[in-house]
Amino acid sequence: MPAITDLTQPFWNAARDGKLVMQKCDNCGTVNFPAKPWCVSCGSRDLEWAEMKLTGTVYSFTISRSVAMNYPDWEAELPIVLCLVDVDDGARMYAQLTDCDPEKMEIGMRVQAHFERISEDAGIPKFRPETA
Amino acid sequence: MKGKVAIVGYGRTPYSRAKPGEYIYTVDEYLAWAADLALQKAGMSKNDFDGQGLAVTHAESAHTVNWAPAVAENLGLSPKAILRGDQGGATAAALFIRASALIAEGVVDRFLVVGADTPLTIPSIAPGLPLSPERTRGIYWDFQGPFGVMGATAQFGLVQQRYMHENDISLKDLAKVGVTTRYHASLNPQAIYRTPYTEEEYVNSRVLSDPMRLFDCVPMVNGGLAYILTSAETAKSICDKPVYLKGFGEMNNYYSGSKVFPDITATGFRVSGPAAFEMADVAPADVDVFLPYDDFPVVVVMQLEDYGFCPRGEGGRFVRESDLTYKGDFPMSTDGGQLSGGQPGGAIGGFMPIVEAATQLRGEGGERQVADATIAVASGFGGITYGRNARSSISLVLGSEG
Repeated sequence: MPAITDLTQPFWNAARDGKLVMQKCDNCGTVNFPAKPWCVSCGSRDLEWAEMKLTGTVYSFTISRSVAMNYPDWEAELPIVLCLVDVDDGARMYAQLTDCDPEKMEIGMRVQAHFERISEDAGIPKFRPETA
Repeated sequence: MKGKVAIVGYGRTPYSRAKPGEYIYTVDEYLAWAADLALQKAGMSKNDFDGQGLAVTHAESAHTVNWAPAVAENLGLSPKAILRGDQGGATAAALFIRASALIAEGVVDRFLVVGADTPLTIPSIAPGLPLSPERTRGIYWDFQGPFGVMGATAQFGLVQQRYMHENDISLKDLAKVGVTTRYHASLNPQAIYRTPYTEEEYVNSRVLSDPMRLFDCVPMVNGGLAYILTSAETAKSICDKPVYLKGFGEMNNYYSGSKVFPDITATGFRVSGPAAFEMADVAPADVDVFLPYDDFPVVVVMQLEDYGFCPRGEGGRFVRESDLTYKGDFPMSTDGGQLSGGQPGGAIGGFMPIVEAATQLRGEGGERQVADATIAVASGFGGITYGRNARSSISLVLGSEG
């Protein structure tokens, strides 16, 4: 379970409500992700959470066949397809890809977001191959 | 700073896999052991460092917040200058630069630089991995684990997948890096894994996070290392074979391209490597032995390109066409690297390229000695950014002459 702080709450609440939000810099327009304390491009502290598009492109992927770190709960879901997704007009993020045969994974695949509830206050974005 | 500082001693303790029945040394014992080996090599004593410099690498088993001063206390040293680094596997190289600056400026004459860790015998959120619970908090972790990131093999599996997608390299090429490193380990009694394996065995080893395999990963061990730096003047008077700092470069949190959609196959060595060569007035072709930071074979190949040992995109071809053994045209990882030597915690492995560089340049490489080695390059590489490559890249050019 992620720790929900005042800084990151907008992200987790939005995901619970089926939305993908990222911080957008009021000064230079750069999208910052994950949550940053100031804009990594211009240093402005005026970052606002803004709704992002729900589509993107797979920049890279890996198929995890074993569990590490502190996540034994993933065991039942193995293999996990983990991607770096370039969200359209957004930023790059780690995300799980669902509903796809691991053997069919390709860099450049177009994907769309969906959301799963993980608690009362939080949801998590995942992606699946874009339907035509 | 070129030629003003030299390594006069170094040490690497035996590593432990903490098997049942083994005496489990604490991190403090490893620090003292490593320091003792380095002092003996240098012909110095611990009291030579009172009023001088002590540098300590961070460790998962660091049990006090003020780690470096606590180490001074535990070793009974009273230094004038203390340095502590926390740049992961780049720390040993970072401390080299900072300590050298203090020596070159005359703040102190010498530094004892130490690092040790016992990742196998501390509480960890993932047994066998150096991830102590106190250090795994915050946004970095909250935006990875729940999203499916399974650890460093997944993080670098993503890098390798993209690298292989963009470049002419096959698993066989990466296998050659592992096979050569293991061959060198078979010649180094200090390495943890010494049984040679074939390219086929590498390719067929268990897939952890595709394309990352078991044989891509460093074995985690408990252990410690140290090296001693002095001014060039002191080195000439006390040491028969000083190893001089000829040049260095450093880059942290490197972005290639945009910050939002960067190239994750680009490392900060693109900046630190050329900078180190320029300072040293050395070209890649002049290097007699290369000691990369080898946490994964693909990271080694990216270093070959980013240092300029071969053109960008030709790392695979360079590996295929080169003899990477100690007797070949491009000796590399002559100690067996971390891949076969072991990694004593996430930060301490960074000492190994420096210690092996000194070993080779002093002609102490035994069965794996590179003939007439006078110039070596050692890499420090540490930390993992979100969605990109390592946090810190450091390049050191070392030579048997200043």
